[in-house]
Amino acid sequence: MKRFRALVVPVVALLLAATTASCGGSGGGGEAEESGGPVTLRFSWWGNAERAALMQQALDLFHTKNPSITITPSFQEFEAYWQKVATETAGGNAPDVMQTDFAYLREYADRHALYDLKKQEGKNLDLGDLIEGLKGAGEIKGGLYGVPVGGNTWGYVYNPALYAQAGVAEPKLGWTWDDYRAGSKQITEKTGISGSANPVGTYYNLELQLLQEGRSLYTDDGKLGFDKARLASFLADGKKMADDRSTLPVEKAVQIKPKHPLESDLVAGAGAWDNFLDRYSKSTKAELKIAPSPSDNPKALGQYIKPALLLSVSQKSEHPAAAAKLVSFMINDPEVGKIFGANRGLPPTNAQRASAQLTGPLAAVAAYEDGLKDQLIKTPPAPPKGAGALEQAFIRITEELLYDRTTVDQAADQFFTEADETLGS
Amino acid sequence: MATITPTRPADAVPAGAGPRKRARRSDDGITGYFFLSPWILGVLLLTLGPMATSLYLSFTDYDLFDTPRWIGLDNYARMFSDQRWLRSVGVTVLYVALAVPVKLAAALGVALLLNSKRKGQGLYRAAFYGPSLIGGSVSVAIVWKTMFSDDAAVDQVLRVFGIETGGWSGNPDFSLLMLVLLAAWQLGAPMVIFLAGLKQVPKELYEAAEVDGAGPWRRFASITLPMISPVIFFNLLMETIHSFQVFTSAYVVGGPNGQPAGTTLFYTVYLFDRGFGDYRMGYAAAMAWMLLLVVGLITALLFRSARGWVHYSGEKS
Amino acid sequence: MKGRLSRVAWHVGVLLLLAVVLYPLVWVVAATFKPSNEILGDLRLLPTEPTTANYERAVDGVNGVGIGRYFLNSGLLAVLSVVGTVSSSALAAFAFARLRFRGRSAMFAVMISTLLLPFHVLIIPQYIVFQRLDLVDTYVPLLIGKFLASEAFFVFLVVQFIRTIPHELDESAKIDGAGPWRIFWNIVLPLARPALVTTAIFTFIWTWNDFFGPLIYLSTPDKYPLPLALQLFIDEASGSDFGALMAMSVLALVPVVLFFLFFQRFLVEGVSTSGIKG
Repeated sequence: MKRFRALVVPVVALLLAATTASCGGSGGGGEAEESGGPVTLRFSWWGNAERAALMQQALDLFHTKNPSITITPSFQEFEAYWQKVATETAGGNAPDVMQTDFAYLREYADRHALYDLKKQEGKNLDLGDLIEGLKGAGEIKGGLYGVPVGGNTWGYVYNPALYAQAGVAEPKLGWTWDDYRAGSKQITEKTGISGSANPVGTYYNLELQLLQEGRSLYTDDGKLGFDKARLASFLADGKKMADDRSTLPVEKAVQIKPKHPLESDLVAGAGAWDNFLDRYSKSTKAELKIAPSPSDNPKALGQYIKPALLLSVSQKSEHPAAAAKLVSFMINDPEVGKIFGANRGLPPTNAQRASAQLTGPLAAVAAYEDGLKDQLIKTPPAPPKGAGALEQAFIRITEELLYDRTTVDQAADQFFTEADETLGS
Repeated sequence: MATITPTRPADAVPAGAGPRKRARRSDDGITGYFFLSPWILGVLLLTLGPMATSLYLSFTDYDLFDTPRWIGLDNYARMFSDQRWLRSVGVTVLYVALAVPVKLAAALGVALLLNSKRKGQGLYRAAFYGPSLIGGSVSVAIVWKTMFSDDAAVDQVLRVFGIETGGWSGNPDFSLLMLVLLAAWQLGAPMVIFLAGLKQVPKELYEAAEVDGAGPWRRFASITLPMISPVIFFNLLMETIHSFQVFTSAYVVGGPNGQPAGTTLFYTVYLFDRGFGDYRMGYAAAMAWMLLLVVGLITALLFRSARGWVHYSGEKS
Repeated sequence: MKGRLSRVAWHVGVLLLLAVVLYPLVWVVAATFKPSNEILGDLRLLPTEPTTANYERAVDGVNGVGIGRYFLNSGLLAVLSVVGTVSSSALAAFAFARLRFRGRSAMFAVMISTLLLPFHVLIIPQYIVFQRLDLVDTYVPLLIGKFLASEAFFVFLVVQFIRTIPHELDESAKIDGAGPWRIFWNIVLPLARPALVTTAIFTFIWTWNDFFGPLIYLSTPDKYPLPLALQLFIDEASGSDFGALMAMSVLALVPVVLFFLFFQRFLVEGVSTSGIKG
């Protein structure tokens, strides 16, 4: 036993030294390297094969324009990507440039894993052409930790054929939550297909309602922006719709995952990010359309442009200047806008919006966003760290509610308990 | 068998019979370490360090990025009031209790079926191994969920017998059973190990028993079972350990939340979600060590029980 | 007559059982001939309008890296893993099962305990080790453990088999003047063949299917093995091509099935003790 300890102690000490050394956010230097020698950057993103092919075209173009910078790409699907990036960051080996998600931005920024791009703004990073709704997105406490490469807004994607069949007026700006509920019920009764996906399963439906009431999911200091009673009434609403059978039964929704009910023609509509219109349209033969969200307050639609994807630079990057150049190129170069179209959400800058040639559902999405220009509100601040986990908790808790495993009050309690724990520390 | 006679007196001494024998046997010292040197190197370089680190982290608040902060036993204490942890323990224990016997019985049954010399045995074996070949991939999740959807194969068969379940994959009451069946479906590994074990049984024993007029059941109970008991023990132990740690198949079918309604929230799925979803690696490490303690205890009990029913023909009893 | 009847009954019985077991597999293969967006939730077994489009996309691979490259990477990893695991596990198992030395049972307990810790909490410390050694994005982290008998499962498996080999054989060899190495090589290895073949088969298949190790350690797409490449067809956020994914999975099964069919034959010939004594 003694010998065992003699063996273990030095090993632990060594490992800990390695762990802590890699965790202290000493900050990547590299300010000196502004110009000159060849540089290799690691660039990681999540996405499918199609995005990888587009990305490669863009990176090739970048390399021709910046021959001294070579990019090593790496990509995985969304979940695997985050596991890998978390491990790499913990090991002090994060990629120089990485794709980040709005919900996870502060997770990394607050823990000093990301480089403050403010230091490069105006030098290697040009943010002047960003569309109005995306200006300032990615800023946290005066620093800039992510630059949006695409944006989209919430909306209501629906199947007009089912609306016609049920004799329900199609959704349009000005429709109310009562319209939504009554319409869903009628569609279910007339067509036998559920009028809507259940709104309580989606965190952003709650955010939408809160914004319509002049509130928000999170306060500026990172607490919940609503109380238990408000959550309970949101949940009760959804539960009532489920009991009325005007929404898709939860068993069905769970069973077909990872497909969305719209893709399987199981519902007549659902709230969704507008660029999903394209994805859903590809999987169903039905023609889908998009409309603004319902709102009881004609003056407040509650919709904003969410930075769908952001590019961030690792705090440990030895080449922040080159990394910033790449980020700048990805958002400004018109060629890149043309290459990606709306693959990353609608392009972030005016120049790229002009050069992206959108067709089919994507053109419809662009037209939809254009039509809403005057209704959109400012993007809320990046969600606090832990928000990603809390969204998962929300999905889990509402699912149990719809399965009748908990009551509305228990569900609301549970969410607040988890929020305390997640946001508290 | 009778042709082999013990040639060394030491072998006649029961195992562990006093210090003299041990002293004699430790002659192999250097040779033993030599044979074991790759393993020793591997443990020192790859296993012990990370294991010790994770033990240390289990006493800290560690979010992957910032320096771990020592919090003593907090992580361990918190588990017992953590509703999801408690649920994951319940789900996992139930799963182990169901999946281990079902899978082992199925694997042994198929192995016995495929042990005889017949035409096409290789193909049959490959066919039974087939489901295990696709491992815990996305394809498995897709096919399994589809098989158990409403109106799909399983549902239709059950309906013939008048059982209405309305599809298992969306039904919280059946989702765990669905994963038990998935485990049994992927019986390849224990099946092959049983087969290999059956091959080790000397044919002379059966021939001798047949001469003595023993029927197939007698032969199975008094020759096959004891002779393959080391292999049964191995499979039992491994399946138990693996079932406690079941992750991939559960994760691809139920996701990080253990869908539907948390009924497939296995221990390691929750652990993984804590570590890589919420970035609470300290808590995840504590969960891991708690599991190690419990499964270690079970393993020790199994080893102890093995003295009673596992027979090594290589060792005198 | 009775013999033939029971033979027929045996085949019919096995085939019936197989029909149940293989139905989902057949569904998978059939699904690869369905249009990609109709696969999920399609209850029918056979495609109505078969298409090979999924296979075409699978063969094209991802981002300019063709499927051949992924097969090559997977093959290299799997073969080296088999060599490493079989040799290192056999050595360690022989020591545990047959040799006497100080600390043996303690080390055996350590070995078993390495099985008990879920690997997810080991990833980050292990990653840091390899990162310090500058071995990330190479195959070394994925292979070194195999050569160092780090998979206790296999060491224990081989131990269990060696322990069934009668001691008398070692003893008579010792009388003939054989040292431990000759006993290992001439007696134990041949007699433990079913265990070694089993180890080889499992190592090949498990390495072939391993996703998490390569995910963490490899970054350059042209070093990816098949399971990582497969995953590139799907992405929750940007849309998934389940058709190509499943087509590639089915193609990826072919080498494993062949490997299994080839190696399982070595399980067939049971080694009887009297045969060896000869």
